[in-house]
Amino acid sequence: MIGKRVVITGMGVVSPLGDSPARLHDSLCQGLSAIKPIQLFSTVGLGCPLGGEIIDFDAAKYLGQRNLRPLDRTSRLVGSAAQLALEHSGWSAEMRAAQEVGLVLGTMFCSLHTISEFDRRALEAGPAYASPMDFSNTVINAAAGQTAIVHNLRGVNTTISTGVTSGLEAISYATDLIRTGRARALLSGGADELCFESFYGFDRAGFLCRSNDSAGDFPIPFDTRRNGLALGEGAALLVLEDAELARERGARIFGEIKGRGSSYDCSRGRNGSDAVEAIASAIRQALSDAFLLPHEIDCLSASANGSQVGDRREAEGVFTGLSGQTHRLPVTAIKSMLGETLGASGPMQAVALLETMRDRVLPGIPQLKEIEHGFPLEMARSESRETDVTHGLINSIGLDGHCCSLIITGCDN
Amino acid sequence: MERRIVITGIGVVTPIGTGCEEFWTNLIEGRSGIAPVQSFDTSNYDVHRGAEVKEFNAEEYILNLDAAHLGRASQFAIAAARLALADAGVEIGSLDRKRAGVSMGTTSGEPREVERFDDAYVSKKLDRIGPEFLALYPCHVIAAHVASELNFAGVNIMIPTACAAGNYAIAHALDVMRAERADLMLAGGSDAFSRITFTGFARLGAVAPETCQPFNRFRKGMIPGEGAGVLVLEPFDRARRRGARIYAEVGGYGLSCDAHHMTAAHPQGDGAKRAMQQALTDSKTKPEDVSYISAHGTGTLTNDRLETIAVKRLFKDAAYRIPISSIKSMLGHTMGAASAIEAAVCALAVFNDRVPPTINLNDPDPDCDLDYVPNFAREMRVNVAMNNAYAFGGNNASLILKKRELLN
Repeated sequence: MIGKRVVITGMGVVSPLGDSPARLHDSLCQGLSAIKPIQLFSTVGLGCPLGGEIIDFDAAKYLGQRNLRPLDRTSRLVGSAAQLALEHSGWSAEMRAAQEVGLVLGTMFCSLHTISEFDRRALEAGPAYASPMDFSNTVINAAAGQTAIVHNLRGVNTTISTGVTSGLEAISYATDLIRTGRARALLSGGADELCFESFYGFDRAGFLCRSNDSAGDFPIPFDTRRNGLALGEGAALLVLEDAELARERGARIFGEIKGRGSSYDCSRGRNGSDAVEAIASAIRQALSDAFLLPHEIDCLSASANGSQVGDRREAEGVFTGLSGQTHRLPVTAIKSMLGETLGASGPMQAVALLETMRDRVLPGIPQLKEIEHGFPLEMARSESRETDVTHGLINSIGLDGHCCSLIITGCDN
Repeated sequence: MERRIVITGIGVVTPIGTGCEEFWTNLIEGRSGIAPVQSFDTSNYDVHRGAEVKEFNAEEYILNLDAAHLGRASQFAIAAARLALADAGVEIGSLDRKRAGVSMGTTSGEPREVERFDDAYVSKKLDRIGPEFLALYPCHVIAAHVASELNFAGVNIMIPTACAAGNYAIAHALDVMRAERADLMLAGGSDAFSRITFTGFARLGAVAPETCQPFNRFRKGMIPGEGAGVLVLEPFDRARRRGARIYAEVGGYGLSCDAHHMTAAHPQGDGAKRAMQQALTDSKTKPEDVSYISAHGTGTLTNDRLETIAVKRLFKDAAYRIPISSIKSMLGHTMGAASAIEAAVCALAVFNDRVPPTINLNDPDPDCDLDYVPNFAREMRVNVAMNNAYAFGGNNASLILKKRELLN
């Protein structure tokens, strides 16, 4: 699509592996894992006790001693990431008062824990005891709305929910708004919290990795021994800007959103070839949107999270989408260390990829020993390595049919 | 020249009727869908009335998926989508499935799935909840189920911006079509009657005891409801080529955020005004050319007053000449579906040159001194309709629909 150029002028991240792009990148390059026994809630009776929790998360560190009471965990994650991204990009409070900045947030569950607690309180104590303040956080756009209040974001405020792809889809949506001139500066990314309710759902659905397996406690994307994902949490936001505005205000530019593609597998994963074709289709759309050819992609940040079926389909979908040109393609899969952060995952991958572009080091996939036979991804490694990335491809692939791909280009191009 | 996008089909599932025809007839006659709540026992509450969809038979509409294993909001959405496609005369087989998409809005997604989880949790029988919770609860399943039922492989997106979600979803579909990313989009909103939503509004003291009386002096609040509205959006040239009936053009939209308060609108209607202004600019419409405004009009004291202020601030003297109505007086507040159903009403108003009434308006609030089309529908020329929606989180969305004759 032809339109205004969209550049990235800042990043904010709150994750169990660091609360700045550089710290997250360092952790990933060292192969540190966020996957640990969960402290937030009891996992007794569940198959997996592990998750990527931000232990001792304290929003006051980012948002100061203002009234945090109305903000639940998800809103605090988003509000904190927004604070960091605004600081990083130089969008001061004065500038935001003079010019509208918006927020496009992707989230799969937003405040499921608040929703469920609100309802349970009404069930147990009677509806008269349900908290009106909690009620305002039960809407799925609560975190975006709360964050807009905290940071005076008066522009477009949209919440996108497409499951795992929510965050990357939000960046695509924001990109379109800037390309068409509807917005000039947007915070965009995603978030999801770790909570008992969603964890229970993933556990019962059989998606979580088993800790008693020979592979150990961790998800190992693309490895023959992989047996599931680990659930994580966090928030990651990019500051997206009309390139002209960024230049005018002398902003530092970290990269450019070059192309985006989305597709949907109507079989919702039941038909393998449809699922693979949907992944390939999102990649092809992103390439054509970016005016790039498959061989020009020089890095893949995979959606792979250690799931048996999902990782295989992604490997095949990437091969098809890139017309078979994957044999020399450096690949990373940061969900091996962060876990599956759902709505935050695509934007986390974007932040990590931008850091790789800056630092020229690509994180490995720790514990990767043997890539499953037939996966056309020879360039996945367990160790981090030096890699020059010009045009990086990010995949986000849902559990039930949604696919989203994004191409980011480094700032020198 | 920008690609022009038109509405060629309308499907609704509402407390006053399912399908465009039944709904429009009841709307014009000023019938109310508000009745005692049947979905759950309200004896613990101070308020007991809601706007539920009655006698809905999902199996009539859901032919490919297993209707019994879908949440109620998904069932409504599929029914509305099927009705809209049939209304548009679109043969599903004639579409390029990769270029047929779905954009839906919601407030609560599939709240009954989490309510079932909570029932099991408090009765210490959580083991009754199995893999279906993850499969049926997350809100993106609504758009996903619609697309899977219809075999649509194009854009598939869920925009859960609460009570303005339908407008957001239609606005996004407009952008998708303008950018030529789809040949046909189904766009709208869906919500199921929810214990959580009912409890919340009751705790805010926002639920009216008897009926919904927008803009009335002694109005007592909103009435929670449920339903779905879906529009078929196509490019004008394609619709004309196949000889489709064109209800209206989707002229443009505006989105803004109050950044003021989670549940209360900005005291001067700042965000609402900016959204309306952008919608006018985007659709190249002069304020004085707006023929009709579909109000958010929930029936709460503050909403109706602030909405009136915002309209006056933007339209100045012209505000007094533009008929405004709130169909929530009849349907209650169908949440994420509300602005989608109201967009359908705007399309029908533009197409039929007739606007629905605000019922229960016998004693107007002196602060609400505009023309709210009290109690009786009105025949009038409707060239341009504006659809306003406001939500928790300060999310505001305005949509402009225009008469087909203005297109050539």
